[in-house]
Amino acid sequence: MSTQNETTKTGAFFLLKARRFVQLAMLAVLGQWSFYGIFRCPFLVPFVNCQVCPVITCWGRITSYFWGFWLFLPLSVLFVGRAFCGWLCPGGFVNQMIGKVAFAKLRVRNRLTKFALLGMGIGLLIVLFLWIGLHNPRSIVPIRIGEFWNSIRLSFEHASLFWLVRTFVVLGLVSAGLLVANLWCRFACPTGALLELFKDAAIFRVFKTSACNDCDVCLRNCEMGTRPDEANCTNCGDCMKTCPVNAIKFGRQE
Amino acid sequence: MENKKDGVNRRSFLKAAMASTLAAGAALTPAFLSAGRFQSDSLQVWSCGGLSEAFTKVNSLYEQRNGIQIHYTGAFAAALGKSLLGGAVTEVFAGRVLQLAQNLRTADKMLYFRPLCFTEYVIITPLGNPAGIEFIQDLARPGVRIILPLGASPPGGDAIMGILKKANIEKAVLANTIEKESCVIKMLPEIINGQGMASIVERRLTRMAQFAGKVEVLPIPETLFPSGPLTFTIGVMKYAQDRALADDYVNFICSDEAQTIFEQQGFIPATSEKGRILVEKLGVKDVYSK
Repeated sequence: MSTQNETTKTGAFFLLKARRFVQLAMLAVLGQWSFYGIFRCPFLVPFVNCQVCPVITCWGRITSYFWGFWLFLPLSVLFVGRAFCGWLCPGGFVNQMIGKVAFAKLRVRNRLTKFALLGMGIGLLIVLFLWIGLHNPRSIVPIRIGEFWNSIRLSFEHASLFWLVRTFVVLGLVSAGLLVANLWCRFACPTGALLELFKDAAIFRVFKTSACNDCDVCLRNCEMGTRPDEANCTNCGDCMKTCPVNAIKFGRQE
Repeated sequence: MENKKDGVNRRSFLKAAMASTLAAGAALTPAFLSAGRFQSDSLQVWSCGGLSEAFTKVNSLYEQRNGIQIHYTGAFAAALGKSLLGGAVTEVFAGRVLQLAQNLRTADKMLYFRPLCFTEYVIITPLGNPAGIEFIQDLARPGVRIILPLGASPPGGDAIMGILKKANIEKAVLANTIEKESCVIKMLPEIINGQGMASIVERRLTRMAQFAGKVEVLPIPETLFPSGPLTFTIGVMKYAQDRALADDYVNFICSDEAQTIFEQQGFIPATSEKGRILVEKLGVKDVYSK
């Protein structure tokens, strides 16, 4: 039995519009930092050494994004689980847009989608090994300050093999989102994996009530190819408008 | 004669017009002046990454004064130099190591160069100097926890090893080294928080806004410095679209005003007394100049 603070089904359509608006706003706010993380960060694991980064113009360094972000993220998980992925992450938004034209949506429950989740765990382990085990080595000569295209060209021109492998793996997996919708977010993202580990502690969440008849309409509509409160659910709320028996709610599950 | 009651009177109108003209003139003067002096309204400048903080400041000054936009890139000089010796193009280049400037000259990529400034190496310790370091030989004392940026891009690690070898203490210091960092900027907090008791860096690092005043700085005898990485030059490339503008910019960078900023950022200005001695000692001269 459920619920307090439930949203209504009539408000769910508005919820999607609101989510897109927030995602666009966050793309404007965090997008440049994300860009630096992929193309300009000299360290193998981006976003974790911004306070001591030699790249002068990175927004993670010249603003308080770095500290603010890493304080905000655990708090957001405590309150709303993986909502960061569904509502705020610029990379998530880009992946979702790519996913709209993907060859295969892969919104099914089978052994493949179940075991593919291991990819996130592997991604997280690799990142933790590079960050903590290897002390996150610098792997390219940093373009400390520079013009947009020149900096990208110089970064690739003078990058080490490690940095090239890391960057092409990330870009390749994001591009693979054209084949399988949201492949990066669903099966590879280390940050998503980290949040997934702790999301069960969330106070508020989207969840199924006992009225659920396992019709999987929600799953077929979910950009992450999952069902409420299951692995990869980001509390985005998209499924709330789809349930034919109104079995999906948002709030505190008791 | 009947006074007009509404609208502005002639005197007010003239005053407002005059004030507007003066304000607009003041705002547009730099642009008009530069438009008169130079054909271009922008300049592409590349420099060694270590000079980035100083160049950011002097570029801002130059832009304000002249209405010229500086498109600036600061990165590892050897990498930029390699690109420039390949197919890359810029209008002004300030690199580290005299040989690089000479190579660009002999390859007919650079029209001329001038000495810009010099760097120097120092010992740093946490505030209070817990290991009681006084001389470079103290780094070899057993129990002194050393962190060195030996994995940093050249000349970082190589220059420091050169200093230790000249001081004949490299084996003992390496034995004391608890961590070899890949990035000198990433290393600094490890000294500030006391994880390491001492390190060797360029003085410019201790002048960065985020580290200034947070470490003790001790000198190293100049005789131990490797000569190669000490020198920075600035030169006009053959790709300069407006030679007069490029020359004017280089003159400004070498002016006393701009050189003061380089000094504040931890460099020895080429125009200073010590700088002039180093110019002679290290032979920082464009031998191709006529």
